[in-house]
Amino acid sequence: MTLAIETRALTKRYGRHTALDGMDLAVETGSVFGMIGPNGAGKTTAMRLLLDIIRPTSGNATVLGRSPISGGAALRREIGFLPGELLLEGRVTGRSLLKHYAEISGPVAPGRIDELAERLGLDLSRHVRKLSKGNKQKLGLVQAFMHEPKLLVLDEPTSGLDPLVQQEFLSMVREAQHNGQTVFLSSHVLSEIQNAADKVAVLRNGVIVKVGDVASLRASAVRRVFVDFADASATSIQSALAALPNLDHLTVTDGAVVQVTGTVEGHIDALVKAIAPFHVVDLRVEEQDLESSVIDLYSKEAN
Amino acid sequence: MSQSPRTILPLTRRNLADSWRGLLGWTAGVTGAIFLYVPLYSSLSGENAGFDDIIASLPEGLASTLGFEDLSSGAGYVQATYLGLIGFVLFTIAATLWSSAAIAGDEESGSLELTLAHGVSRVQVMAERSLGVILRLVWLAVVSALLILALNDSSGIELEPINVIGGCLTLLALGVLAASFGLAVGAITGRRAYASAAAAGISLLGYVLNSLGNQSADVEWLHTLSPYHWAFGNSPLSNGADVGTLGLLFGISALALAIGGFVFTRRDVSA
Repeated sequence: MTLAIETRALTKRYGRHTALDGMDLAVETGSVFGMIGPNGAGKTTAMRLLLDIIRPTSGNATVLGRSPISGGAALRREIGFLPGELLLEGRVTGRSLLKHYAEISGPVAPGRIDELAERLGLDLSRHVRKLSKGNKQKLGLVQAFMHEPKLLVLDEPTSGLDPLVQQEFLSMVREAQHNGQTVFLSSHVLSEIQNAADKVAVLRNGVIVKVGDVASLRASAVRRVFVDFADASATSIQSALAALPNLDHLTVTDGAVVQVTGTVEGHIDALVKAIAPFHVVDLRVEEQDLESSVIDLYSKEAN
Repeated sequence: MSQSPRTILPLTRRNLADSWRGLLGWTAGVTGAIFLYVPLYSSLSGENAGFDDIIASLPEGLASTLGFEDLSSGAGYVQATYLGLIGFVLFTIAATLWSSAAIAGDEESGSLELTLAHGVSRVQVMAERSLGVILRLVWLAVVSALLILALNDSSGIELEPINVIGGCLTLLALGVLAASFGLAVGAITGRRAYASAAAAGISLLGYVLNSLGNQSADVEWLHTLSPYHWAFGNSPLSNGADVGTLGLLFGISALALAIGGFVFTRRDVSA
């Protein structure tokens, strides 16, 4: 089994601030690997180290079997990169800008740019600076995918994309994986990449706190639940739910419809069984964004 | 491993393609300045024009500060009005804006990161974008030379064509010097403000040292520190360009670019 990305104790400090603290990461060739964590966790720092835009303070990285520093331009030709903050300017059309990026990356098959633009619904004849954030993001995706690189490094790829385009993006990722390409992507919300990634690393304060498959991370995530009851008193519901061990932040609001909110850590099975005897008007379970769910979970463990 | 077919100078071509509108404006500026000043010579230099009287009426220090001592000859006039003043200012501003934008401006806007993530080395980015800036300055120098030559007879300045070329080449060398300082400091710091200060600063310093050196024999030694004086001290429009001076100016420029490129390949690029 070969690794597309391997880092050992990869560390980046800016003065006294440690952006990335001894990251050990192994991304298998042909896999889709997600990295999640709140803003400032070190996701972008890690990716920029892999692209040799910044240099590590200590530790090292191997990308497609080579060091990003000595691999240089030849290595980067085999990588497609989407930066987290994509700033595209200029009085040029999308097509002209993509033609320029095609000149300085790996070979792009004829018709490939139009095919990708059509899939994402991007008008290549418009001037770049007049594009909306979502359309700039599409342009960024096209330049990352167009030369069919061995490795795709995508920082917050779905940000600014509407749900339909997100679906198209996911199918592009699956196709890339089918072609044997490796995809390394990041997000600050698990739900955005859970359908794409085989494996996910959770990053917090520059440290990987957990690596696992998406199913196990979801199972341990904290969910916010909302339940509305009819024909029941607030006190009877309160007493039925108070005993549940994995239910926190419980609030019960009395009224014609009794409204209950709370957070559930792990499986919601116990909650569903506890409310089953009552008349349930509505039940909603929302996955919290990563910052307040998985991160909370592991910071609690850390303490 | 299959190498993609490389195109020639992709970053330089992009740099020029992105800036041709601006260059059009600069070309108009240079053209306007030459058409404004050079033809005036014929009306000011005649028997009764009293050009020398005007100069004599100026305070002693002012005339020498502005380099106006020798306005009565064609070479002295073009040197004092265009080459050493308006042209020098235009070239300095253009070099400052272009050189600070090429690396540092692109880095501050966040666009440089995406370029560097592609199959280009930092040295290539530095070299190609520097070439883009220098080519634009060359264009302005060529336009200057052609227009002065076009007005050579009708305005009565009567310069040797080879000296016009030499004079504009010397002006170009000063522009390239300023641009190199801007490019190098931009590549080293990634800050547009520092790059601008370096480019404008080297030009301004040269001009000020030259003007101070003109004031009296006691401070004439300041001329030896002034790139402006190296370039124009021997009056290239009357005596031709000095190859040693050009070599010195271009040599310092090349050294600045090399130092800038050396540091650029070894530092972090910020988003």
